[in-house]
Amino acid sequence: MTFTSFTFYLFLTFVYLVFYWTADRWRWLVLLTASYAFYATFKAPYLLVVLLMVTAISYTCGLKIAAQQQESAKKRWLWIGSTACVAILVLMKYLPFLEAQGNNLLGLNTAITRTLVSIGVSYFTFQAISYMADIYLEIEEEPERHFGRYALYLAFFPKLLQGPIERTGDLLPQLKKPYQFDYDAMLSGMILFTLGLFKKVVVADRFALYADQVFNNIHDYTGLPLLLGIYAYAFQIYFDFSAYTDMARGTGRIFGINLTENFNSPYLATSIADFWRRWHISFSRWILDYIFKPLQLGWRDWGQTGTALALLVTFIISGIWHGATWGFFIWGLLHGIYLASSTYYKPYQKKLYKWLGIEKSCWLKWWQMFVTFHLVSFAWVFFRANSVGNALTAVFSVFKVNHSFSFNQLLISDLSSMFVILLALALVHLLKIVHQYKNRIDVNCLSANHLIVHTLSVVIISIMFYLVIFCGVATKSFIYTQF
Amino acid sequence: MATEETLNQIFQMVFDDDCIQIYPATTANDVDGWDSLSHVNLITTIEAKFSIRFTQKELLKQKNVGDLIADIDRKLAGN
Repeated sequence: MTFTSFTFYLFLTFVYLVFYWTADRWRWLVLLTASYAFYATFKAPYLLVVLLMVTAISYTCGLKIAAQQQESAKKRWLWIGSTACVAILVLMKYLPFLEAQGNNLLGLNTAITRTLVSIGVSYFTFQAISYMADIYLEIEEEPERHFGRYALYLAFFPKLLQGPIERTGDLLPQLKKPYQFDYDAMLSGMILFTLGLFKKVVVADRFALYADQVFNNIHDYTGLPLLLGIYAYAFQIYFDFSAYTDMARGTGRIFGINLTENFNSPYLATSIADFWRRWHISFSRWILDYIFKPLQLGWRDWGQTGTALALLVTFIISGIWHGATWGFFIWGLLHGIYLASSTYYKPYQKKLYKWLGIEKSCWLKWWQMFVTFHLVSFAWVFFRANSVGNALTAVFSVFKVNHSFSFNQLLISDLSSMFVILLALALVHLLKIVHQYKNRIDVNCLSANHLIVHTLSVVIISIMFYLVIFCGVATKSFIYTQF
Repeated sequence: MATEETLNQIFQMVFDDDCIQIYPATTANDVDGWDSLSHVNLITTIEAKFSIRFTQKELLKQKNVGDLIADIDRKLAGN
């Protein structure tokens, strides 16, 4: 059951009604049952067992870490819990790869793990590790003693499949709060969900039509049409992932839960470091706190080299996490190189801009955005291409001038498709402006302005609904669900 | 107080800004240029100046200048 299926809307309505009519002290049970039922619809019973195992391990280790007096004993329990969770994640994600390698090596043809899916496992495992680490670091003063509520913290269905990866201190207290119906929260949740649905069905999947066409026939494209294909993928993955986050956050709000924002206009970043502060924020915070910082501080005697090396290792791990392919490895390596090299040139770059007197220039900002977007898009080529060979072909072919180029090569030249994309982007932007304005006028409580803003929101959402129904593309699954 | 003054001088030197004034509640968000990359320079300079060595857990727990001062004072007191 995905967020874009009709079954999900029936499920959501049913769960909300039961949740609403249940007493506060049992509401966690309604959400927990709903979350496990939601997960069960993926028809892979072992996923429920894995979820339960990770929950039981991290819950027990959390209690053990808190109960120990000796620092070494606390550390031992943290290692036991983290190692067990990482081992489960590695087995779930890489068993098919290991089996294929074993088959190649031994000349066998087994297919035991070929159908193994690990949907959602990364996200709840990351949360479990951060929970244990935060108890060890005493960021969380007390472990959660209620097993059911802790299980819900890991399994809460809006964020189960692809995050946001929630910190204990952000989500657990909200799951314990009594629920009170709030009209504004309910409405804003529904609007956010609709916005997500719109971004997925109308924008992301429409960009996907062109990106798929280019990346699946990479040898047929050169120059501008190929470059537009690369741009199309960059926008597809952003709208696809941020759409899911909007839908997850919208669903959470309906139940009175605020989930973390995962994106902040990432393609307006002025450097790669800035990009990672704006892209998949909950994940970048996680790798920063639990991989990069311990490595960087452990290697601090090596100075700048230690920091550069920690960045490189962190982003290679991030690449491999996406999957056991060379494409993901190179994607992570590229981001690691971008960031590691910036630790060396950044101070000189800053001095140069100051010397030239352009450090506050808006042209410089636009130039930095342009460069950052292209560095990110270059890395996306390896992330998306069907093989490293294809990615290299794309990188070289993009500089070839195609003299027989015609606009017919561009699916996007289909005027109606182009119009829908432009209209969709304009609507997304307009809705953002309207909501920013709404937040500003809330202070003044101007009822006439409220009415205008409210009407505008309704009109925009209605057009979005119309476009979802009549201009939506046959939906593909969300890209990040596979990770 | 002596620790805070010395620490303030270290901050001014590391971030190349004589106007920096730190307080126990100061966090990375309050100091221009204090990010995860410059943090390691700050820590190694503090360790060299005070002749102390932080454990990894102490470093990961520190949330503001107040935590940093408390750890320095504890180490200087020999605990």
